[in-house]
Amino acid sequence: MDNDAPEISTSQRSGSAIYFDGVSSRRRTVAVRLSDRLEIEEDGQAPAAWAYSDIRRVDGPTGMLRVSCLTAPALARLEVRDTTLAAELISRCARIDDNATGRRGVAAIVGWSLAAAISIVAVVLFGLPLIADRLTPLVPEAFERRLGDVADSQIKTMFDAKVCDNAAGQKAFVKLVTAIREAAGLDTSVQSGVLSSSLPNAFALPGGRVYLFNGLLAKAENPDEIAGVLAHELGHLKHRDSMRGLIRDGSTSFLIGLLFGDITGSSALIFGSRTLVTSSHSREAETNADSFAIDVMHRLGRPAKPTGELLLRVTGKEGKGLSIISTHPLSEDRLARMSRQDQPASGPPLLSAGEWRSLKAICDGNPDAIKL
Amino acid sequence: MNQMSWPPQVPPPPPSPVPPPMPVAFSGGRGEFFDLVKRGAGLEFVTLGFYRFWLLTDIRRHLWANTLVGGDAAEYTGRGKELLIGFLVALAILMPVYVGYFLIGLEAEHIQAFASIPLIAFFYVFGQFAIYRARRYRLTRTVWRGVRFWMTGSGWIYALQASLWGLLMILTLGLVLPWRNAALERYKLRHSHYGDLQGSFEGRGWEFFKRGWWLWLLTPIALYVIPIAPFIYGAYKAIEWRWWLSGIRFGGVRVESKLRKSELIGLYWKVIGWIVVLALVFSAYLGLAAVLVGSMTDSSFTEFFKSQEFMKSIPLLVLAGVGYLVFALAMNVVIRVYLLRDLWVRVLGSVNVSGLEAAANVAARGELANALGEGFADGLDVGGF
Repeated sequence: MDNDAPEISTSQRSGSAIYFDGVSSRRRTVAVRLSDRLEIEEDGQAPAAWAYSDIRRVDGPTGMLRVSCLTAPALARLEVRDTTLAAELISRCARIDDNATGRRGVAAIVGWSLAAAISIVAVVLFGLPLIADRLTPLVPEAFERRLGDVADSQIKTMFDAKVCDNAAGQKAFVKLVTAIREAAGLDTSVQSGVLSSSLPNAFALPGGRVYLFNGLLAKAENPDEIAGVLAHELGHLKHRDSMRGLIRDGSTSFLIGLLFGDITGSSALIFGSRTLVTSSHSREAETNADSFAIDVMHRLGRPAKPTGELLLRVTGKEGKGLSIISTHPLSEDRLARMSRQDQPASGPPLLSAGEWRSLKAICDGNPDAIKL
Repeated sequence: MNQMSWPPQVPPPPPSPVPPPMPVAFSGGRGEFFDLVKRGAGLEFVTLGFYRFWLLTDIRRHLWANTLVGGDAAEYTGRGKELLIGFLVALAILMPVYVGYFLIGLEAEHIQAFASIPLIAFFYVFGQFAIYRARRYRLTRTVWRGVRFWMTGSGWIYALQASLWGLLMILTLGLVLPWRNAALERYKLRHSHYGDLQGSFEGRGWEFFKRGWWLWLLTPIALYVIPIAPFIYGAYKAIEWRWWLSGIRFGGVRVESKLRKSELIGLYWKVIGWIVVLALVFSAYLGLAAVLVGSMTDSSFTEFFKSQEFMKSIPLLVLAGVGYLVFALAMNVVIRVYLLRDLWVRVLGSVNVSGLEAAANVAARGELANALGEGFADGLDVGGF
């Protein structure tokens, strides 16, 4: 180690480099000297001198140091390939890595991302249900009816379903619906019908529309079973559950989509987490509609238990598995609840035996009806 | 001035020997890139995807900085924060657009079921705008020899042209693709500049078609015989890259590419191989998790699987979810290493640049563009080069 040899220290203090002045693309081979500033010399002239505290590292290829200077043109670059000179230059520039995203920068990104994630999740879990509750009464009925019309034509196209309306069956159906509707305290704007589909289901659309699939009629054994189902769907209408669901689920998907961005295959994640969130709300709405149905049936003086039996007949035993991903409460639980709160029949039957037969045959004579 | 005083007997300068075309070199190590995307995938996982802006920036910085043209390395000066801001601005603009789309769709559906589907075309136009503006952002962040590239032109005019070509594409079942790409590239490159050198595109649709006409014949077969699809796609990408690169001009600077089809086809097969391996590992993991959870429940083993009960078991769902995330991230790493880095290196390896002396003394010009286009491209999930 020739510590005292001046040549060594000068060889470390100067050397050659490539310089681009940021004004033209001319490649200049320059001599650099590390004195009190970084001096850049070309053919005896000094086009630039950079203060060490203004020098910043920028990206360069492997094995080359490339620096810029805060006070020089933004794209002026000095490229040093000589590793000893580069090391010497780095040791003099205390703030050379100030622009780099260091550990603290990454920690800030991670921290704020987590904060954003937590606040989005909190809004989805607590804020959106509240917003949907407050917003739903403000949505004009006319707009809701329009949404219902859209859903109506899409559903009819999707299931290729026709409305069943042979005269005797339709008469019995209207009688049944009118009795329940009046007991439920809903006005005549409610529209309802039986659709020719073999699915055992019934649903309510926004804007006051209730549909019963013929498949459910086929599985029913008496008018009370169907009456309870219709009362349940009218409960959804009364609570405007579809509108609330639309506002809540729409914004939930949007916010969760925002959160996950574009990790490949994130749509599966978005779908999964959205299912978890929305189905918990949906179970709550179903339970409320069940309470409403029990209430209406009691007002009519009819038992609610048969509806629970019909549900169990349709779904079969659903088992003990955890049900956080199902949209409805378990059929067993629903039957148990309806039996628990049941009262013996005190009013007249809702339909006569003849009317019940006509209702069950409402899709007969309809070319598209499916016989079960 | 000195030249003026030379004696006049010197004949007009002899035709200077044309410098040989220069290859383009790449100096980045594969391990370095692998570490970069591995760490990035981990951070993307922890930040639920928000890190993507910084990861994308780091990937570009690595690729640009190690690309040497004429011995001088390029530099990418974009930053993750700019992409984040671009994304937020795009979000602010896209949100009312989505609401408007929803309302118009509602009216259309009112008249006819599913009538709102053609409205998706609107988002196609938006996507093309995003592609143009994203290219402009990347180009203005590209610096070489201390001078930046820059781009003018209008994103909306480009989007309009691209949409009209898109209509033609549908009408001709994709046969006009070469002419579409040529026309759109001409627009993009005519508005691209390096300092005061103006870009242009000399690729002709006919040349593309001549090289790749058999792809159109084979594509319908590939829809039935899936195993030949990677061959066709790889060949298509190779032909497209080679044609595109060979058409690029900046003033007197000419780019020439001799990319062979086999180079890209091999890459695609490697990615497929890795995905198969990862999928096997993932299913083995799922099976193991199911057996583990099954042996811990009180009901007997076979009963647990016969009843649909195991579909609803929470521990199993959580294990499957975590496994799936790791699987998706590993796939991301594979795709980035092979289809970003290796593809980049192979494409660069095929390139020769001639006439570089025209870029020896170019005056710096041009302004930076914002990252709005990148934000739109991210929000609409469109990509483009």
